[in-house]
Amino acid sequence: MSFFSIMKAVEESGLSVWIRDSPSLFAYWFILSFHALGMGMAVGASVVIDFRILGIARDLPLSPLKGLYRIIWAGFWLQVVTGILLLIAYPTKALTNPDFYIKLTLIGIALAVMKKIQWRVFNDSSLTEQAMMLKGKSLAVWSLVLWLGVVTAGRLLAYTFTYINYSG
Amino acid sequence: MYSAHYHLLLNHLPIIGTFIGLALFLVSLIANKDDLKQASLGLFSFIALLAIPAYMSGNAAQEFFREKPGVSMDLIQTHQGAALLALVFMEITGAFALIGLWEFSRAGKKSEASRPAGRIVAAVLLFSIVTSILMAIAGNTGGDIRHPEIIVGSEAPSSVGAAGAKVVPFVQYYVVEYSNWVWPILEDLHFVGLILILGAIGVLNLRIMGFFKQLPVAPLHRFIPWGIAGVFINVITGMLFFIGMPPFYADNPDFRWKMIAIVIAGTNLMLFYCTSAFRPLARLGPGDEAPLSAKFIAASSLFLWIAIVFLGRYIPSFEVYHH
Repeated sequence: MSFFSIMKAVEESGLSVWIRDSPSLFAYWFILSFHALGMGMAVGASVVIDFRILGIARDLPLSPLKGLYRIIWAGFWLQVVTGILLLIAYPTKALTNPDFYIKLTLIGIALAVMKKIQWRVFNDSSLTEQAMMLKGKSLAVWSLVLWLGVVTAGRLLAYTFTYINYSG
Repeated sequence: MYSAHYHLLLNHLPIIGTFIGLALFLVSLIANKDDLKQASLGLFSFIALLAIPAYMSGNAAQEFFREKPGVSMDLIQTHQGAALLALVFMEITGAFALIGLWEFSRAGKKSEASRPAGRIVAAVLLFSIVTSILMAIAGNTGGDIRHPEIIVGSEAPSSVGAAGAKVVPFVQYYVVEYSNWVWPILEDLHFVGLILILGAIGVLNLRIMGFFKQLPVAPLHRFIPWGIAGVFINVITGMLFFIGMPPFYADNPDFRWKMIAIVIAGTNLMLFYCTSAFRPLARLGPGDEAPLSAKFIAASSLFLWIAIVFLGRYIPSFEVYHH
């Protein structure tokens, strides 16, 4: 089976057709809404952590902020589930668009940076706040830049595709 | 109720509200009364929210008049131009007013209350004066449309309105026609605004609701101006979408609900997180529990902002299934 015949089979599956064409309130737009909410959770909470590491709201103690990683991960898994459903709905549209691979790559790097912040800044309890900020500074800048890249690449998916489905 | 009715219902409030707000603000500055300052800044913020549906409902009214004889389209365009300029200055006034108001909601050092910086007060004063003038012109040119008896002689339409009327096609050209990239970049910025709102306001709401209780409230509240910046970015980019393609939005039910939700969520943000009503909450330290009423307000705020995201995402669905 070639790559294209797999795409065609997914696209003709009942689930794919239902997400794409159902006028139900809980089909495509519902999933897309949760995809936006997951972004708000994962990126919103990351931005709060990054801003604090960069010195905004200095009175906020840094170490209890690690609780926000729960929001980040909940948002992330919501993104994975809704993202897969959206991919099932429009496999050709996404997989034939180079921007989709740019987005996935940026997500991979952004996650790695996020894990690194968690590990270097939050998991070392011997660090003072000053040391935490110093260690996290460039990582926080990278995190902000990468998430902006992910959001931009994701948003552009709606405008840069060449094929909408297998038959053209 | 026709869409045009909404315009009649809403259009007087921003004009009267701006005048009352400015009068109140001047008195509060002269008498140096903090409560009065808060009231006028709150009124400016609220009017900035109401002005959004007031402007947008004007497009529906315009469509209604398109088929009616005896109504001058020139007068309507002059009015729309004046209204757009008034709206832009109202939104800037509202943003400064909300930031100024936010200062009152901070706990402040010792017993001394926190107050807005002089330059914020000066900015609100300057922009509210300009807004008042533009609101008066918007009102007058709007009245000319259906009340020709108030037109004196062969009075030419307002030059300010005429200048504003040129802005509408200018924005339409740059947002829709100039390049295929403008719209997507604006959408991207609209999502950046969404992230700032959910990040700044959402995390504070969750803390008040009882999550992440190790975090003290006052420093989290310092992120609120970033949330306000997010709201401002999204009002500006949202207005550009609307001006770019008004027929796409004007009759869209999801869009209408979204605008209603924005007025409520924005008012909630203004009343509870940007006035001295927040001060008792700002004193909550690590581990402290917020009162039940505050938890309810926080939960409703979070629900409204998430509902706004959902309603926004559903806007294009109407076009897909009904046309």
